[in-house]
Amino acid sequence: MSEKINATDGMLFYITSRIRPELAKRIRETNRLETVVIGLGGQGTKHAGLMHDYGSEVVAGVAPSKGGSRIHETIPVYNSVSECLEEHPNVVAASIWRHYSTAKDAAIEAIESGIPIIVLITEGIPLRDVRDILVAARKHNTVLIGGNTPGIIFPPERIKVGMLPDVFYPEETENGKPGAKGITIISRSGAILYHLSDAMASVGIAQNAVIGIGGDGAIGSVFTDLVPLAMGYENTDLVIVAGEIGGMQEELLAQHIKDNPALYTKPLVAMLSGAHAPEGKTMGHAGAIVTPGMETGTFKSKKAALESAGVTVVNSQFDLIDAVKEKLNNKTYFKPERYYEKMRQIWEAPPPKAGWGTMVTKVEPNNLVVRGYKLQQLVEHSNLIEVAHLIVTGELPDADTIKSLTKLAVDAAMKPLPDVYRNPNEDVSKTFEKYLINDEELATFNPDGKLAQSEKTIFCLGRVAAYLAKILGNDSILTEIKSDEPFSNVIYKVITGETKVDSAKARMLEAMIVASIDHGVTPPSAQATILVATVRPAYEVAVAHGVGAITDIHGGAGQKAAAFFTACAEFAKKENVSIEDATTAKMKEYIATGKRIEGMGHRVHTQDPRRDVLWQLVDKSGMAGDCIAISKIAGDIFESVRGMSLPINVDGVIGAIIADMGLDPKLAKALFIYGRVAGLSAHYFEEIATQARMRRINFAQAVYKGVGEREYPV
Amino acid sequence: MRLYENEAKKVFQTEGIEVPAQYGITCTADDIKLHADDFQFPIMIKSLVLVGGRGKAGGIKKADSADDASKLASEMLGLKIKGYPVEILMLENAVEEIGACYVGVTMNPANYNVIMMVSPSGGVDIEQVAKENPEAILKIELPNNDKELPDDIAAKFAEFLAKGIDGGEKHLDKLKNIIAKTFATFQKYDCKVAEINPLIITPDGPVAADAKMVLDDNALYRQSDILNILGIKETRHDVSEPTKNEVRAREGGFIYVDLLDEDFKKDPEKLYVGLVPGGAGYGIFSIDETANVGERFFDDRVVPVNFMDSGGGPKLKGVIEMFSLLMDYEIVDLIITSRFGGISSCDTFIRGLIECIRQRKKEGKRVLPVYGRMVGTDLPGARDFLENAKRETPDELKDMHIYVGNQIIMAEVIKEGIQKAFETKGWK
Repeated sequence: MSEKINATDGMLFYITSRIRPELAKRIRETNRLETVVIGLGGQGTKHAGLMHDYGSEVVAGVAPSKGGSRIHETIPVYNSVSECLEEHPNVVAASIWRHYSTAKDAAIEAIESGIPIIVLITEGIPLRDVRDILVAARKHNTVLIGGNTPGIIFPPERIKVGMLPDVFYPEETENGKPGAKGITIISRSGAILYHLSDAMASVGIAQNAVIGIGGDGAIGSVFTDLVPLAMGYENTDLVIVAGEIGGMQEELLAQHIKDNPALYTKPLVAMLSGAHAPEGKTMGHAGAIVTPGMETGTFKSKKAALESAGVTVVNSQFDLIDAVKEKLNNKTYFKPERYYEKMRQIWEAPPPKAGWGTMVTKVEPNNLVVRGYKLQQLVEHSNLIEVAHLIVTGELPDADTIKSLTKLAVDAAMKPLPDVYRNPNEDVSKTFEKYLINDEELATFNPDGKLAQSEKTIFCLGRVAAYLAKILGNDSILTEIKSDEPFSNVIYKVITGETKVDSAKARMLEAMIVASIDHGVTPPSAQATILVATVRPAYEVAVAHGVGAITDIHGGAGQKAAAFFTACAEFAKKENVSIEDATTAKMKEYIATGKRIEGMGHRVHTQDPRRDVLWQLVDKSGMAGDCIAISKIAGDIFESVRGMSLPINVDGVIGAIIADMGLDPKLAKALFIYGRVAGLSAHYFEEIATQARMRRINFAQAVYKGVGEREYPV
Repeated sequence: MRLYENEAKKVFQTEGIEVPAQYGITCTADDIKLHADDFQFPIMIKSLVLVGGRGKAGGIKKADSADDASKLASEMLGLKIKGYPVEILMLENAVEEIGACYVGVTMNPANYNVIMMVSPSGGVDIEQVAKENPEAILKIELPNNDKELPDDIAAKFAEFLAKGIDGGEKHLDKLKNIIAKTFATFQKYDCKVAEINPLIITPDGPVAADAKMVLDDNALYRQSDILNILGIKETRHDVSEPTKNEVRAREGGFIYVDLLDEDFKKDPEKLYVGLVPGGAGYGIFSIDETANVGERFFDDRVVPVNFMDSGGGPKLKGVIEMFSLLMDYEIVDLIITSRFGGISSCDTFIRGLIECIRQRKKEGKRVLPVYGRMVGTDLPGARDFLENAKRETPDELKDMHIYVGNQIIMAEVIKEGIQKAFETKGWK
């Protein structure tokens, strides 16, 4: 049952509203009970995922020096609680998983930040430190649970803060939905808590909250704090406290009940354990001195104290069941079979499949979605700067950001070029790689701040424009660029070598670049970048590795496709036949001589989503010629010649456009690389922010975990 | 971790609190004669054991001469005080007493505040004073967890003492100084208890004649300086003589306590149940459950024999040893076991149990029936392993019955296990 009650109907909200009315008011509007995880070692990180899977809104993690990264690929991490609360001001609860030697500072920071409920998981914190934590908690009116607690769980809201397993069962109302009513269990021991809950569920008694108060020598909230709190919540019908020998909490509870009967308005059952335990040797008898005349710590003393305060005391599951049933007049909250069925499903479920997430691009057959937007829409509506910012940060930039990023890119293009030798026969990707590696301007541009990753990427795109100018022999144009012109103009100038910008052509060139921006983690170029990113090299090194993997086999087919379409068009002209006939003849010739026809077919798509938008744009621009026409019929002709379906792909379309624009076919690959630099940048930054160093990568296990598809804001 | 008196005194001395001249420790009476020339008689001979009440039990004596000392020492070395055998003695100068008082710091177990207490009734059982004459104790709580005692509070304590003890007024400043230092020592060394009882007023001023100090185990990691000074290399287990099962368990890396004496005579009419329960909390509760089920359904003929805490996530070897220990323990008739919760792995647990049974069968050792339930982490893998194992060696595992998942509550499992054991024995 993954349905839940309304967040503000549950006990967690009730507690929040008691101690932080202002926060409660804000939560009434958002209807979200946000939690954070402090301390992201193995346990903290693992349980952040389990809490999220259970249903908790884990909005952030906090770990010094890990700020800016993400856990489970989706949960942002901050260096400090205050940084975290700037972005997430409505946090109601934090769990702390730090080592016992640093838990104090973390706990006090969290308390002072004003988070109302702090769950201190850490075990074995020195008592002197615990006392400092308690001083802070009292001062800030914080509900501190623990240390050494398994945590707290609210089954009706499906929220847990801690490491409690999913074995607790809420009320089921008549319509099958969960309800908020039930009993509340408050326990000193974790394992006992599970057995109590199990006993209750076995007779259909629901738990609306289960609280492990912690087993260390000094803890935050104690029975006398929590029992009245739970009883004040309208949906709690009864409270079970699970006590044990040692300490004096049970005796203090008994005294508190006698002194404050008005606070104890609901039935209370105490499950004490240790009746048959041997008398252990205790450390001193401080209790006897501090509270003279009050015997404490033994089963006998606890039982006598509680019974004298009118509390039913039990010592076994059977007696507990009898006592609770009697006090609730045999009320049940669900059918026990439902509980057993749920437990069976949980325990028998196969272990979850290994997988890792990417939030950049969702790749499905015939559908490419970059950060939630269909790629064809981005090609149609956005320029390279906007899409590069989007793919790196996850959101489209606002007008001011576009302005500053554009200037950054244009200025970057004007900076001096590194001295790089280009062998005319070498793959253009290799030349780009050499530029990237040798460019000190790029290496030394290291902004900080929120836009740092976007700025680094955009700066790189400006540099790539300069490389491209040099490679194409248009570098003299670089001196003609003005600092305040649109970056689209710069792209046009470096590619064409013309100073006068033909805006239709410029638009077309940029569309092809944007269309090439990314294809998720499936292409070898992205994988190369990600793989080297696992050892945390400099940005330009990782991007250069990806670029180097773009060859004639991956990403470079456009150049050969352009040559093929040109050959078909020329053949039609020369032989004066229709383009259909010319294409058929050429294809037969290629096949007969064993030559590959490039730009056809795709590993994922049968209808490449980038294809139609490029065709539409080129048709609209008036530049479409024979090659475009051929590209549109090539798939069908291939099927008629070869008997198999191999539709045109994005490389093919780009090749055709380049050919019809009368540009150097080599540009097909260069434009592909240009766009892909932005995508590779996004994968680089994602890898370092979300994954462990030097991880082993199984690319087949990648899962898209990013935002759902959304409408482009036209 | 509780310190021996000589160690506690060393700590107080390090912090500038005066203690009687220390003549060292010894474990033979002959030593005393050998070094008697170095002592200034009278001297105190004190048994070093980690319990209170040594004086009453004859573990503290005053000696006026070397012969006297040697005789008292050899008597003392044979003593057992509350189960602790006396093996080491400490020797120190017996100071001249004008008056005596009590100074102590601890944590209030009710609200976890630091609490300091002083009393002019020194040298006697302070708990007794608290009960019979509470106004003879001044207690002040420090709710802000101060690391140094505020001066006005130190002064208040000192005046309270000075008024109540002979020779106190004369040494008001020294008393105040010692009170402040005792408090600071408590905080600095992460103590659970720091106590001087008695603090003796000598003609020259107050001297800590006896000292008690319990360090917080959780803070030992940051107290290595003082532990080095004291020469303490590993955490001291604060238990009286462990049984052989307890020693074996400690070597195996888990916590185990025998509930029956080592020379316990088995009642042939009763069923003795060994427990492998998981964590400490259920470790205590499962003892109760077993006894209660016995009372309720089996005429009180069921006896749980042990407490066990497997710790967070025991390794395979540890699990094998937990079951092996109980199967080697002659008194045990049946083992009840439970896995429930998030941290420990059902898979490791079931592999360990099955491996234990198979190993013992192969070696011709005794194998006991095991009844239990496993729920929690890695259950699917554990279930598959169990089913396979039962198919492969059905005979070896016929007396092992483990419920997979929480099909019935643990109390029912215990009841079923005992029922089965009763049937096997032909009992009703």
